Amino acid sequence: MSVAWVGSQVVSLSDAIQHAAKLLASSHCPVISFDADVHGTRSVIALAEKLGAAYDHIRGRDLVNEITLFTSYGGMFTTPGEVRRRADLVVLVGDIPAEHHDLILSWASAPADLAAKDARRWFHLKANRPAPDNTGMNSLSRKVKAVALSAEGASLGSAVALLRAELADRPTVTSLTNLDKLKKALAEAAFPVFVFSGNTDEPMSLAMLQGLVADLNKAKRASSLFLPTDDAAWGAVLTCVWATGFPPRTGFPNGAPVYDPRRWDIERMLREKEADLHLWISARDSASPARRGGIPFIALVRTISPVPGAAVTIAVARPGVDHDSVTYSSRIGTFRAERASAPSDQPEVADIVRELAEALPC
Amino acid sequence: MLIRLKGGEIIDPVNDARGGASARRDLWIENGFIIEAPEGRRADRTYDASGCIVMAGAIDIHSHIGGGNVNTARLLLPEHHSAHLPRPADTPLANAGWSTFTTGCLYAQMGFTTVVEPAMSPYSALHTHLELADIPIIDKATLTILGNDDFLLSLIRDGKSADMVDDYVAWTLAATNSLGVKVINAGAAAAFKENVRSFSFDDIVPAYGVSSRQIVKTLQSSVNRLGVPHPLHVHANNLGLAGSADTASVTIDATEGMPLHLAHLQFYGYGTEGKRKFSSEAARLAEQVNSNPDVTIDVGQVMFGQTVTISSDVTRQFLAIGNASPKKTIIIDGDGNGGGIVPYRYKENYYGSLQWAVGLELFLLINDPWRVFFTTDHPNGAPFTAYPDLFELLMSREARDRQVAELNAAALELTTLPSISREYTLEEIAIMTRAAPAKLLGLKDRGHLGPGAIADIAVYRRGRDIAAMFREAALVFKDGDLVVENGKVVNFRWGRALRLRPEPDKTMVRRMQAYHEERYGLSLDWFTFPDSALRRDEPFAEVPCNR
Repeated sequence: MSVAWVGSQVVSLSDAIQHAAKLLASSHCPVISFDADVHGTRSVIALAEKLGAAYDHIRGRDLVNEITLFTSYGGMFTTPGEVRRRADLVVLVGDIPAEHHDLILSWASAPADLAAKDARRWFHLKANRPAPDNTGMNSLSRKVKAVALSAEGASLGSAVALLRAELADRPTVTSLTNLDKLKKALAEAAFPVFVFSGNTDEPMSLAMLQGLVADLNKAKRASSLFLPTDDAAWGAVLTCVWATGFPPRTGFPNGAPVYDPRRWDIERMLREKEADLHLWISARDSASPARRGGIPFIALVRTISPVPGAAVTIAVARPGVDHDSVTYSSRIGTFRAERASAPSDQPEVADIVRELAEALPC
Repeated sequence: MLIRLKGGEIIDPVNDARGGASARRDLWIENGFIIEAPEGRRADRTYDASGCIVMAGAIDIHSHIGGGNVNTARLLLPEHHSAHLPRPADTPLANAGWSTFTTGCLYAQMGFTTVVEPAMSPYSALHTHLELADIPIIDKATLTILGNDDFLLSLIRDGKSADMVDDYVAWTLAATNSLGVKVINAGAAAAFKENVRSFSFDDIVPAYGVSSRQIVKTLQSSVNRLGVPHPLHVHANNLGLAGSADTASVTIDATEGMPLHLAHLQFYGYGTEGKRKFSSEAARLAEQVNSNPDVTIDVGQVMFGQTVTISSDVTRQFLAIGNASPKKTIIIDGDGNGGGIVPYRYKENYYGSLQWAVGLELFLLINDPWRVFFTTDHPNGAPFTAYPDLFELLMSREARDRQVAELNAAALELTTLPSISREYTLEEIAIMTRAAPAKLLGLKDRGHLGPGAIADIAVYRRGRDIAAMFREAALVFKDGDLVVENGKVVNFRWGRALRLRPEPDKTMVRRMQAYHEERYGLSLDWFTFPDSALRRDEPFAEVPCNR
């Protein structure tokens, strides 16, 4: 089976790597979008450093709010294990990505063995807007018998702010439904946890939620559980942080890493033609980048055929399927070593990118 | 390759080389080890060490260099990195080595070749080792945190046998690839989840009915029985509080004939005297250490400037939120300890001056350099890059006096520091930073320059400027490879993580499998990992237990 192409022409893997390396070496401003496991991410950073390139995760736009919560505000957090075993009150905040619903349902069927009481109460704080249930959140909410908290016309951000104000006995112009039930549950709870994700149009709501948790901790205990919009992407964030000191949207303009979420927004750089070559790496799927002004691109993706428009295409393996992998998992709130479920000879991102780096002229 | 290090002044306390003209001799290296001077052979490579002092590579027993909490601190504080160019170049922590890569380089440049990350949460072991594997040049090791985890507290509560506790501790050490055990504010994190906000040595964890003392004593005994070379590493209760000296004192008394290491004692050196009810008790604690041969301590020296405190003592960090500078913090209720990230600036005011003096008092009043260890509890007291300045303070009374003149006089009046004339010798520095750490950790292959030792060697150009001498080593060898020349890294090799390999009891493995399936709904392999997950050739090196 072919794994490498220059244009639409089948070539050997080494020829494709040599060709890609030549393109990268001749580029004045190469940029990298990637989606890889820990070891793939490490190789991408090493390549970017050697090239003087900038990089972002393919889901960089989704990550911005989540990263900003940590870089600008901080907060109080707990682990999925503690939620399962200790939380006697769970408040789901907004839409939680579907990939986490099984985890949440598993709490509903497990005893909170470290809590004083057997029963676990559920609430769902949400926007009051007619919107399609894209994430299946309403269904999840019904399954765990969550009591809805919302206010007429209030967005999620407004609902969080309203809840914080009302719990602090501040005057508000409107009120959340079922607030009394929540107040009673909070008064009786020993370890309430607010479960949230970063996929919100209102990033300040994340900071407001942390303010609410801080308020509760003045007299009692409370915490929050962060479930990333995308586990693999969050794992890449953490890997970038230890390898460079910074989350993605980092560049190496002068050899040292420079973090700037606007300057190194790869989509912006392509749109405004600051970049002249795009390396697109996706170990997850065959999606290719949106074409921006004819800027040439190299694709390292899961594919069986050349990506239309790509100067070079190399088919790569899927982590955890074709090869052993290390990825972040919200089931445990940290990294997990995963055995390949269907080992194959498909080349993995870390190896290809390392060979690309080695093929560059010194 | 046969390497000759020619004409250096050897300072190697283990082998009775104390420096001076009589200790000037050659050192020979072959295949990564120090060897006897070979007869009739010529060196393949010779390095001139004349005018230099030669020591074994330094060992740091307590420095937070990697893992979940350290990485969270990086994420919280991107502006604390020198490469964040929109900010001034000398941003706080700018020189602290805020990535894994720079951590290894900066340590090596100072002649350090082994560093221990002293606070690894068991469930974050893979994350921690991934980071350590990305730290170049130096060897690393970890201490695994126990003492707030449900499984151990349940064993104690239920009166389970010592054998079962030992099996659990041994399983944890093996599963986390660790060199030893640390307990952090024993029981307090578990109690904090039940809204207990102050917790002392004889307080009880509500849900378990066990005291902090019971937890410490249980782990101390288990570590001793298992033959773990490093004694239980204790982060005591009440860190940083006025009156914490009393807590340290009762913890030292609890050694009861068995070894115990007390971490960053400076943060417990505080009494309640004076107008501000915050005074130095360093002299009392130093005397207590001097008279108790079972106890070792590291200092956790404070140096002035911006840093960030990173601790798995979640209770203490929660209480410190109000002192955060800048005003952003992260508190984590973890599966065992959790942790907290609180940025902090040590100012030359009353409190900062007193903390600075307490650390130096401990260094200078504890007589035996084999039992007091050189740390700033990086980055809690100061970034490790402050070490050269701290060496100077220890070796020069004049340097101390210069700094004292700049500090808060009212604070210093409540300390003994101005009256202390002791100056550390180079031999004492070599003991404290090389020979003693190797002994404390059970690392017989390093910490000295005798034949058979691995060739971890630091060469410093002698000079009047002590800090400059230690900041940029003239030459550093790691496993016989030249890695630093004239203060610059010249070879980016990968070190290894040192671990014990106790054989886990099969019944305990089955018990842990059942526990994780029942309590977390996940099989045990979610929480463990093979060496291959780190993608390094030989990521680990084994250290034998004492039995």
